Amino acid sequence: MTVDAPTTTPLFEARNLTKAYRQGDTVVEALRGVDFAIRSGELVVVAGPSGCGKTTLLNLLGGLDEADQGHVRFAGTDLATCPESGRTLLRRRQLGFVFQSFNLVPVLSAFENVEYGLWLVGVPKAERGRRVDEILAVVGLGERSRRRPAQLSGGERQRVALARALVHDPLAVLADEPTASLDSRTGTTIVDLFARMNREKGTTFVLATHDPAIIDRAPRRLLLCDGLVVGDERIGPS
Amino acid sequence: MALRNLGRNRRRTLLCLLVAAWGGAALVLTAGFVRFSFDGLREAIVRGGLGHLEVAPAGDFSGAASSLERSALPPALAGWQSLRNEIEARPHVQAVGAAIQFTGMASHADRSAAFLGVAVEPDRERRMGLKVKIRSGEDLPDAAPGEDEDLALLGAGLARALGAVPGDRIVLVAPTVEGSLDAMDVTVRGVITSGLLELDARLLKTHVMTAQRLLGTGNVSSLIVGLDDTDRTAAAKAGMLPLLRQSPLPLDAVEWDTRAPFYGQVRSLYVGIFAFLGGIVFLLVVLSTSNTILMSVMERVREFGTLRAIGTSRLQVASLVVLESLWLGLMGGLGGAALGAGLAVLINHVRIQMPPPPGAVDPMELALRVAPSDLLAALVFIIVVLGVASLMPAVRVARLRVWEALAHD
Repeated sequence: MTVDAPTTTPLFEARNLTKAYRQGDTVVEALRGVDFAIRSGELVVVAGPSGCGKTTLLNLLGGLDEADQGHVRFAGTDLATCPESGRTLLRRRQLGFVFQSFNLVPVLSAFENVEYGLWLVGVPKAERGRRVDEILAVVGLGERSRRRPAQLSGGERQRVALARALVHDPLAVLADEPTASLDSRTGTTIVDLFARMNREKGTTFVLATHDPAIIDRAPRRLLLCDGLVVGDERIGPS
Repeated sequence: MALRNLGRNRRRTLLCLLVAAWGGAALVLTAGFVRFSFDGLREAIVRGGLGHLEVAPAGDFSGAASSLERSALPPALAGWQSLRNEIEARPHVQAVGAAIQFTGMASHADRSAAFLGVAVEPDRERRMGLKVKIRSGEDLPDAAPGEDEDLALLGAGLARALGAVPGDRIVLVAPTVEGSLDAMDVTVRGVITSGLLELDARLLKTHVMTAQRLLGTGNVSSLIVGLDDTDRTAAAKAGMLPLLRQSPLPLDAVEWDTRAPFYGQVRSLYVGIFAFLGGIVFLLVVLSTSNTILMSVMERVREFGTLRAIGTSRLQVASLVVLESLWLGLMGGLGGAALGAGLAVLINHVRIQMPPPPGAVDPMELALRVAPSDLLAALVFIIVVLGVASLMPAVRVARLRVWEALAHD
């Protein structure tokens, strides 16, 4: 994977991020004081074994959850002090999400799943149609856009999910284990798509994974272990 | 999306629709029964002798709703024949009959009893469709009685008190309009019942001409107006008022329900019962559908989490749940209205005999009267009920924590 030179302004900035969950009587410390910055246009893989805090970190970066301590700034907004409604708007307009299990709405076609995000931001119908067709063609699903998720393969569903995450031109896409439900060949194709979108559109990607095939190709790896950043490796231009 | 979501678990959607449809049908049938009862009671009151309107000197109506309560007043309506003819010529008027309310004593052999007299024109009563329940003997003939041919119908209780049967001669004593007492022999033509025991103990019915001879007057107390349709009563009254204002004696027309407060009381009781039943249907449908909607929502927690994650607001996901329920309500309500209307037709076809409504004597054939407004009301009611049933699930969805919802299995 290669990436164009990113800008110097941090898009994401995490300072002393701490998050703990209660599971029954046990308190699980998912993040124990995490610091890092991700610049706009970067493709970053958050790597580490299961339970190391990758999903929690992505949830905090995406404003899906709130940190117990510390701060996350996204595009200049402090998510810790931003109200839920404000975070919803941020997610709607400036973020895209890709999930391990695709998380498509089963009653909507591929086209409608992608179109939904544009409907949320109030794009007119004709414009929506044009942009959805365009992004579905980019991810290679132009001819299967009227099919519902159940009629698509796993790889196709994840392409739809990627199209949904990108269609509104977000500043960043957060992907949590995007290849975990796919075979290795399909997973590679999906990661290639991420890299291409990052390269061509300049969209920032943060991928949480423990898939060595992805980690090995990442231009930047943020290594997590037991809720701590234990490594921040960059390959290529920075 | 809301509509499509209903097709995801068809069995559950069908169950919800059935509950809503049965609720709607129950309301339609209850409304039809209540309307049947109201109409039956209304017609029983009107056809029982009250008529649709009563025209009398304006002062006679003040402070006395019942015509029998006005029996102490001397008949004051003079020139009534021409007025009667003029009113009879008006549209939708079936007939107008003169009436006299009077009181007196009736004697037979060694027994005497006070009576409340109602004098009518039998031919016109028949044209108006007014009916009297004959226990024995016959009704008054249409023709006016000649001298010494006066006839009377006795209430069952009065006949028993006097020991009189059809064919017996009894003596009526009553104060004339000039204040003296006059007496008259009449033949008992029949024994009748009004449906009210207390009234039957005093009721005496005779021809207007008989009462006029006894009271020494050519006047009558009032004119009873019969219309071809009870629903036209108010319009008929409004149309009649200019004519009444031309009369030298101030006249007024009073509608049947003003003279039968009993109807209003029974109606209030029925409305209360209907509201109670509606409340029960409301609760049953809300509880059963709310649970089903909640189950449907809890199965889609991760999906709602996804929608929230990609920028759908709390209000929008809650609206989605409410909208799904409103669709269910619309379909269930339409089904319920159709089912209720269909069942009403079926029940009416079976021709079930019902006991007489309050105040009536004759049993009635059940004829559920389903009005279009009832169908619309049932539809709106079911939509509202489903809307209410969705509120709790909608609030739960809106309160979901996104990260938790995304991790939901």
